[in-house]
Amino acid sequence: MEERNSTEETPRNNALAQRRSKSYRQSMRSCVEATHLAYTSGLLTALRIPRSRKAPKSCDITKQVDPDQVALLVKKEWQLSYVTPLYQFRHTQLKSYSKQLSAFIVSEKQQGLAIEVGQELGFKVNFSVVLGLAETDKDAETVFIQILSKQAFSAKDDAQKVVWSGWLTCVNGDLDYLRSLPLEFVSLPLFCTRGPESLTVLVKSWFEKTFDCCFGPLGINSTNLQWLASLWTGCHPTINIQYLKLVWTLPTLPPMDVTYTVHPQDAWELWDSMRQVDTTEDSISIDEVTGFIKGLQSHFFRHFRIDLSAGSLMQISTALGSSHHSGKIKIASPNYIPTILQLLTECALLKMPI
Amino acid sequence: MDDSTKRLLQRLMRRIPSQMLQTILDKWAHLSREDLHSLDFTQPKWVLTEHLLALCEENGLRVKHITELEMIYIIENPNQGMWHGFQLLDAEEDAPSIELTQFKEQFKANLTELISHVSIKIKKHTDEAIWIRVAWGDNFTKPYHLKPTYVVHHLQTPYVFVTGVTSKHKPLLNQALVLATRYSSMKDAHLSGRNLTAIRDLLMRQYQQVFPTKHPKPLQEKNPVPRNPNIEKEQAENTENRLQMACEAFGDGTLPQLQKAVYKLETKFRDNSNKTLTGREEPFRGVVEFASTNLLESLRHCVSSGMASTPVTPLLSSITQKGRNYFVITDKGV
Repeated sequence: MEERNSTEETPRNNALAQRRSKSYRQSMRSCVEATHLAYTSGLLTALRIPRSRKAPKSCDITKQVDPDQVALLVKKEWQLSYVTPLYQFRHTQLKSYSKQLSAFIVSEKQQGLAIEVGQELGFKVNFSVVLGLAETDKDAETVFIQILSKQAFSAKDDAQKVVWSGWLTCVNGDLDYLRSLPLEFVSLPLFCTRGPESLTVLVKSWFEKTFDCCFGPLGINSTNLQWLASLWTGCHPTINIQYLKLVWTLPTLPPMDVTYTVHPQDAWELWDSMRQVDTTEDSISIDEVTGFIKGLQSHFFRHFRIDLSAGSLMQISTALGSSHHSGKIKIASPNYIPTILQLLTECALLKMPI
Repeated sequence: MDDSTKRLLQRLMRRIPSQMLQTILDKWAHLSREDLHSLDFTQPKWVLTEHLLALCEENGLRVKHITELEMIYIIENPNQGMWHGFQLLDAEEDAPSIELTQFKEQFKANLTELISHVSIKIKKHTDEAIWIRVAWGDNFTKPYHLKPTYVVHHLQTPYVFVTGVTSKHKPLLNQALVLATRYSSMKDAHLSGRNLTAIRDLLMRQYQQVFPTKHPKPLQEKNPVPRNPNIEKEQAENTENRLQMACEAFGDGTLPQLQKAVYKLETKFRDNSNKTLTGREEPFRGVVEFASTNLLESLRHCVSSGMASTPVTPLLSSITQKGRNYFVITDKGV
């Protein structure tokens, strides 16, 4: 079941492509008016679902971001959520936030337990900024949070280990939307977490209390999984993707999973054959993406006579990363982080409940 | 009892679920009546294990007795681990007349000739299946009982099912089996799964098959979907046809429980709407894996509900028709 967003259902895509410049001018005007009135109007926040994207270019991310911080983000599987804009979040107050969140976690964990004098519960929180991921001047800088704790039964002097990590980010967020936000709000719509669910719930509830925001689960629908599959396959000439694996689930009784693992070179040749001659090298359109996946489904159909679109695409993976419908993402190659984060930021912004 | 035997018994006790313990120990019959009565089955398992260890020590039981207990457990619960099907080819003249004692002698003799330190146990089960347990050693070490191989063979059939054999020992096992059964070779049937009963039923065609008939009587759909009488009237004939073809391909009633089917595709790209790739000489390589808790039921439902188009492609019906679940598909066919 694909999540339906009201903006998707209206069949405006064709008209949009032509009217693009006009509605931008319109939205600019309402932007100015909105700040006077201090609310965001519905017109602005009808974000457009992109019909084309820039082809990912391999970039050496370590030129922009500290390599140690990059290592924190890659090769790990993150669970995604979206969060509404944070009221009066200040990047300068991170130390204070660390203390507050740490105290909050300790007090929540202690609820209902008898307190022993002198017992060290030992939760330490670290808020830090990851500079360099923001692409435009409207993107807020990424905030990385780590929770450290002593393991049970460890000796007094043992170092604390990271038991939970998470980060809030906004990469190439829609400029119209970001400009429309009143000044006191900071938008970091994409929230990635890794670690015990109990801690995730505590962190979210502290944010909700402190910054008057709302969290929600962010799934990755079939169209976006197809985008990711195509974007990653397109990188094959630069970096060997090693395989392209797609998993569909068919609603049979009992449900059946179909995993189709394609040889990377063959997948790339199919993708390349979809790239239309008249489009520029740089941009990829949704038609090329759907054509690519349809090609694979059609080859499959010719063999098994099973229509894969009767099921839903649940997971895609390559050596560059993997992604699951339930909102999990793993980026294995740091060179394409900005592209993936941009796509995910878009998904998060589309969930904004205005 | 030495340490390794103790460990074997402890491991075995951890494996056997509490509710089966009493029946299996009864069947084992190596403990006297009084001893068995003295065991309190309401105690936690680890306490029971200690007690059992003590009893075995008292009775002077050794490794061969413990392995017998393991075999009884596995025969009662064969649907664990990964079973692989094999087929014996080219029977010699006297193959059909081999009987149990001859097979046992031959197999033991052959295998011990090939590898000196090996522990073999052969048992005939009530359903005419011969069960063989092999623990492998080598020229310098005693047989290692913690990773045994189990083999199941029905005499007078060319099928053999094996679990837990390493690639090092496979050729030795194959040779011993081939010689003992008086065939000339054994090949991989490309059928594997967790459920021994399922793969045996598939290979030996012991499931409820459905054959095409000239006078079709509509088969009853066992899991009816919610009904809309208007749609049903329109679609009645199509639905019947689909159900008939689904059952012809996969069987009727309860189907053998298979978990996976793997197809290695090495065929040319088949999509005529794609101009660039249609003429391509090289195959469009890929691997397709179907997975489900009961794959044959899923596939049957897939066909009967219309998700798969009829007639059912031979690629899918080969699972039941040929009794295998690993295929390499080239342009020349399966």
